[in-house]
Amino acid sequence: MMALRPPRESDFTSHLRSPAVAARVGTVLGICFGLCFLTGLVSHWSQDPNPWFFVPTRPTWGYRLTQGLHVASGTAAIPLLLIKLWTVYPKLFAETPWRDLRRLVLTGLERASIGVLVAAGVFELATGLLNTTQWYPWQFHFRATHYAVGWLAVGSLLVHVAVKLPIIRDAWRSDVESTAQDRPTTAVASSGITRRGLVVTAYLSAAVAVVASAGSTVPLLRRVSVFGVRSGGGPQGVPINKSARAARVTALATSADYALELVNGDRTVRLTVAELVALPRHTSGLPIACVEGWSAHGTWDGVRMRDLMDMVGRPAGADVVVRSLQPSGPYRATLLPHSFVEDDLTLLATHLDGERLSLDHGFPCRVIAPNRPGVLQTKWVHRLEVRA
Amino acid sequence: MRYVVGAVGVLAGLYGAWELLRVGLANLLAAVWWLAGGVIVHDGFVGPALLVAAVVVMAVVPSRVRGPVVAGLVVLGTVTVTAVPVLTRFGARADNPTLLDRNYTVGWLVFAVLVVAATGVGVARRLREPAAADGVDVVREPHDER
Repeated sequence: MMALRPPRESDFTSHLRSPAVAARVGTVLGICFGLCFLTGLVSHWSQDPNPWFFVPTRPTWGYRLTQGLHVASGTAAIPLLLIKLWTVYPKLFAETPWRDLRRLVLTGLERASIGVLVAAGVFELATGLLNTTQWYPWQFHFRATHYAVGWLAVGSLLVHVAVKLPIIRDAWRSDVESTAQDRPTTAVASSGITRRGLVVTAYLSAAVAVVASAGSTVPLLRRVSVFGVRSGGGPQGVPINKSARAARVTALATSADYALELVNGDRTVRLTVAELVALPRHTSGLPIACVEGWSAHGTWDGVRMRDLMDMVGRPAGADVVVRSLQPSGPYRATLLPHSFVEDDLTLLATHLDGERLSLDHGFPCRVIAPNRPGVLQTKWVHRLEVRA
Repeated sequence: MRYVVGAVGVLAGLYGAWELLRVGLANLLAAVWWLAGGVIVHDGFVGPALLVAAVVVMAVVPSRVRGPVVAGLVVLGTVTVTAVPVLTRFGARADNPTLLDRNYTVGWLVFAVLVVAATGVGVARRLREPAAADGVDVVREPHDER
């Protein structure tokens, strides 16, 4: 009878578990992580105004594009990561050089960086994927944690690339079927799928995963995206992220006492819904684009934000604080930077698709501005304050 | 060059760790399970399960058609992982019918049928090729590593 012992790296003989495959799948995976990270930063900084990241108001579809890419690159990374981890699985059982202190320290550090990379990489892809469906089976703060762990993932990825650079370079310079870089116990030929076949299958899986989900933001793909989180439909042709019921604003938004307050210091103008709707309206065709990767185009009508704030004498260059009727939540007050306030396209919208806004779209009025995260297109607005 | 990339990586990672600590201890403790969980689930369950799957495929599928069958299984398996949240619908809310507004089970069946069909085409093409194209199991003699 065979004695049971822990597996060793040399026990893994598959021809496919080779640096030739790992480098090819890993390079594309690395590009996906990089793209996902950068587009994630765009979103993070667009949501938190800070003095050194200026968010432009054009292109109007900028946020839609970057966040569509964020979710698409993250989705593509899932098949690639699974296949990449499979090809390097034997490394988990590599021998530890206990007798050589220098090698022991270096191996330990490298393994620690891989540990961080796998933990952070899986964490980012898993939490991001669940977030697209608003499924939050955890206690941590999603946005802050996803942001912090994103830095951990990219940091450990850069360390990993630095360590493996010679192997990656050699792998790309030789043929994918070359056995030059293989471990001694690796089979010299495949007994099934070829290395080229596996690499192509990995790229294909990533592409299929993207096409199967990207219809949430690419209208052309709506019919084929069988796993898209939103088909793009909804009241007045636009999906909803948070309903009036979930935000607990139904009674407040439909109350006869509702009035919009425009405030600049001690000057206050109050407008009833009838007065607001009677003001001159403009039309903006703008997307509503969510960080969760879905987006839809809408035709909005409303009063220009600039014109409204002129009613209380907003000085040029002043930002505006937008307050919602929502009794709680992180987005009940948001800051609209002056470049957005002054933009012709920025509206306090009262109509969508030619009809009065539905309650779930923000009745009686909502902000709609170009190139803005959906969560900052504040709904159920009741107060606009010039920030001193 | 390598050292620059590595140093930038260490700095980025340290910033991430600092950001993670800054959110608070309770948040960190809640996140640790999900951070360690990914490693444990992969290395402890997914890795071994795929070894078992490979043994089954090697035993059941003739080497001649193993290429397209494995490719089909990889596409089916990995893309299905990306569909877990829509298939399980845990995020669905009664007050928001615009979220998760498709029949994902039917979608998955259509996807699976397409993958099986593509695999079938690959298998049929393999079977029409001459038998000489069969893969052969060749394993090198293990070297003494010392």
